[in-house]
Amino acid sequence: MAGQVRKKVDTKQIDKIIKSYDKSEESLLAILQDFQRSFQYVPEEGMKRLSKYMGVPESKIYAMGTFYKALSLTPRGRHTCKVCMGTACHLKGAGQILETIERELKVKRNSTTEDQRFTVESVNCVGACAMAPVVVVDEDYSGHVRQSKVMDILDKYK
Amino acid sequence: MEKITITIDGKTVEAIKDQPVLMAAKENGIDIPALCHHPELENSGGSCRVCLVEAIQGGRSRIVTSCNYPVRKGLEIRTDTEQVRNIRKGVIELLLCRVPDSEVIQNLAAKYGIKEPRFFTDEGESDRNKCIACSLCTQVCEDVVGVSAISMQNRGRDKAPGTPYHKDSSVCIGCGACAYACPTNAISMKDEKGVRKIWGKKFKMVACSVCGKPYIPEAQVNWIVRTTGKERSFFDKCPDHR
Repeated sequence: MAGQVRKKVDTKQIDKIIKSYDKSEESLLAILQDFQRSFQYVPEEGMKRLSKYMGVPESKIYAMGTFYKALSLTPRGRHTCKVCMGTACHLKGAGQILETIERELKVKRNSTTEDQRFTVESVNCVGACAMAPVVVVDEDYSGHVRQSKVMDILDKYK
Repeated sequence: MEKITITIDGKTVEAIKDQPVLMAAKENGIDIPALCHHPELENSGGSCRVCLVEAIQGGRSRIVTSCNYPVRKGLEIRTDTEQVRNIRKGVIELLLCRVPDSEVIQNLAAKYGIKEPRFFTDEGESDRNKCIACSLCTQVCEDVVGVSAISMQNRGRDKAPGTPYHKDSSVCIGCGACAYACPTNAISMKDEKGVRKIWGKKFKMVACSVCGKPYIPEAQVNWIVRTTGKERSFFDKCPDHR
């Protein structure tokens, strides 16, 4: 991603994750999920080493990595900030809220801040329309969010 | 191989049990359009939906993909009724929206009388202008060639074949089987001055010792020698001069 400083991945950590599983194709997804948890993304080096260890073509592992929404090929932030863009939230001004976040955090929607603090996403409905407009940070739901107050919510997450 | 008789378009024909209806029809001179099925690949087919036919069995009628529907006793197939033609036309119209630049789909559409698709088209999305995401190329690469250099990536409307990270593949042998199998000619492969370019990677080609024409990538020769034990000298001459 443009302007993003990518840390060198820890190959020892990669090997440790891989070795903790059985040498079986069934472990592939679990290992990719562990990569995601440890590094906030699935590193290229991880796929390469996994492919070698399992004897599974790299292209197949890459296909898995791009298929699942829970896996990301670029580093995600420490926190995920979802702004609901469902019909109710949209009418209640979710667009301006998202724009405020984009401006204040200097980030485009569906990408990650340079300091890796937040990944900002627009989502289609979080099923809490009565609370519109809704912003979800990690697992915490905030309802009736106002443009002037949204940054106070995000400030709690470091 | 058990031979049984089935009915296709009112004609009683002989077919092999469990063989795909599409093949049984073809062997009896009945043409069903199909894109994503390849007779050499057992698991191919079922994704382009162009080969839809009406299958009647035990008094029940269903619309099925003939490329992977098995021939069974008492089966009756209709390939050219108004209903079948209409459904197939709809499928082709949607394919045309997806890959408006593909000549194969354009010709098929013209044959079914589609002038302009009624829906939004993906025109100008050059990345996958002609690809209908049938995954025949990745199946050939895995099952026939045996290298798995490419795979279907992403999901939904972004699904497309490619090498990992869109980088030069470390395992691709440049054989071009994927381009050959592609039903819509969506994979670009160019041979120029003894160099083949495919999936963004360049392959040096071996020239025929008789006519001097470069005809096979070196990497492919190495692969065949390594996996089959064939003599390297076999590849000195091209198939025309062997």
